[in-house]
Amino acid sequence: MATPLPPGRNAAQRIGRRAVLLAGGLAAVGAAGWRLARGAAPRRASVFIARSQRYDSDLVKTISDGLAACGLKAEHLRGKRVLLKPNLVEPNRAIPHMTTHPAVILAAAEAFRRYGARVTVGEAPGHVRDTELALDESGVGEALRDGELQFADLNYQDVAWRPNAGRISPLKGLFLPRAVVEADYVVSMPKLKTHHWVGVTASMKNLYGVLPGIKYGWPKNVLHHAGIPETVADICSTVPRALAIIDAIDCMEGDGPILGSIKPMGLLLIGANLPAVDATAARIMGLEPARVSYLKLAHGRLGPLDERMISQRGERWPSVASPFKMLPYAHLQQLRADSGSPPA
Amino acid sequence: MLALPAAIDRLAAARRWRYRASDESAAEPAAWAALALAAAGDAASAARPAEWLAGIQQPSGAVGVSASQDDPRWPTSLAMLAWATLDRLAGNARFASCIGAAAQWSLADRGRAARQSEHIGHNTELVGWSWAADTHSWLEPTCMFVLGLRAAGFDRRPRVQEGVRLIVDRLLPDGGANYGNTIVLGRPLVPHLQPTGLAVLTLAGQQQRDARIEKSLNYLARTVSGDTAAASLAFACLGLAAHGRLPLQAAAWIEAALDGERRPPTSEYERALLVLAAQPVDRWLPAASHTHSAATVNEDS
Repeated sequence: MATPLPPGRNAAQRIGRRAVLLAGGLAAVGAAGWRLARGAAPRRASVFIARSQRYDSDLVKTISDGLAACGLKAEHLRGKRVLLKPNLVEPNRAIPHMTTHPAVILAAAEAFRRYGARVTVGEAPGHVRDTELALDESGVGEALRDGELQFADLNYQDVAWRPNAGRISPLKGLFLPRAVVEADYVVSMPKLKTHHWVGVTASMKNLYGVLPGIKYGWPKNVLHHAGIPETVADICSTVPRALAIIDAIDCMEGDGPILGSIKPMGLLLIGANLPAVDATAARIMGLEPARVSYLKLAHGRLGPLDERMISQRGERWPSVASPFKMLPYAHLQQLRADSGSPPA
Repeated sequence: MLALPAAIDRLAAARRWRYRASDESAAEPAAWAALALAAAGDAASAARPAEWLAGIQQPSGAVGVSASQDDPRWPTSLAMLAWATLDRLAGNARFASCIGAAAQWSLADRGRAARQSEHIGHNTELVGWSWAADTHSWLEPTCMFVLGLRAAGFDRRPRVQEGVRLIVDRLLPDGGANYGNTIVLGRPLVPHLQPTGLAVLTLAGQQQRDARIEKSLNYLARTVSGDTAAASLAFACLGLAAHGRLPLQAAAWIEAALDGERRPPTSEYERALLVLAAQPVDRWLPAASHTHSAATVNEDS
């Protein structure tokens, strides 16, 4: 939302160049179980969907079940550094469905701790320079104190430069905060929302929030000028091993990602391949994944979008689908699965 | 009322000026520390972060964000503000060459303008300053550069005047400021304390009569409280004080924040902002025409 220009870049024209993917690696999980893929996108991935979830229900069990269903085992996580990355883009007490609910963060932390991991929560709020205020307004600060969790302010941490492993945008490299570089796993924990420029924001777009404001600004306008879909794909290519846990219990529809309306769904989505998880989320929202610009870029490079290549664990997505309201603009309406347009 | 003197002492003793999350000195905390110490009357200690900023100034005149990061260079604005303020208060020209080089760089640096879009409410063609090179002009860096260039004596330059217009343009219809957008796809955005405080601080004494300024002051006055996070509290108080609107309780809020009653201000950045907000604003910001310190408040406001 931050760029003054609506998205108009033709990503397809600029991605004919060879994309060298996954130098940083993304975790790939198939029916055969957990494995790490470096240098190649997984052809298959698993996505776990849990329904009838509430913020006061046993989310630790749900998340643990989901991780296990996607092939994650204790041996992968014991002693590892896990960075939980919620979405705290512009927290506001009056709009709690804008940001990842503290209960989901605490539950994920507990689930990973039970695996023997060392857990930190980190975020670089995209629109707010005062991170303490963001933690207050979201309720996450209080939750972190209750859960005795360390917080990494990714906007101001010391940074390290890493080559852009995606090379889809013109950016040669990305500056990443220390907590991201040092993490064995970065767990993208977005709130499932519509996005008034790119249609949907879930686990991939949420990783914009690992890039530091101290280098990219508030908003992270460097990324917008380099192309939102392109930089989303680049960040996901460059960030070390990533997992996704989507808070889709109370979602946002309409004028997301800030001012939309609450859309109760009662879902958690979990997976180790971000494009596959986000493609499933898009289908649940009534959108065609291949029409979402950054998912289209990710397809075949970072993971599968094709339903036939995504193994559904837990609930199947058609049983929980409920179309999200989209603003009445052509660039958003054409994303709808029922729009009649061929996939972009 | 012991926390403020203790905070000034700790700030004076600091040898690194950091954000909470970082181990290394950064330009913004150093600049605010220099300003806070100067406003508190400790010129000798204020000179230390100011000299450190001079040491990391680049040949171009720009100042990067930290000791290790030359880029982006928006803190050039705050370094210039600190150097000019220290020189003015001391009545000397110790940092004159630093100020001149920084001003030259700043006047040449331009945020990227964009063709007006029906989807965006603000005037995208106004040129101010950006967070990073070759990106759009945004509210907060434009405020910082206007403050810095005015302190350095460039207040009548067209760039500075255009910057002031940009700041007014970025105020929300009902008052307050978001990070910089105003209306997107027909919907006004939500105001926040820190950018609003910085904006009205910058507009103090600028002869601007736009009704959104008064609405912004009202937003700050009804929103800031003792529960407000440290940086936002400081910027809200600075903005209100510059217009003679500081709430009666502000001194106690700042004292409590410095005292760690809620959470300690563990970084030099937050400590500097709170110390500065506790000083009479006209000690360091001559453009502010109606000033009250946190210690001498106006109940009518």
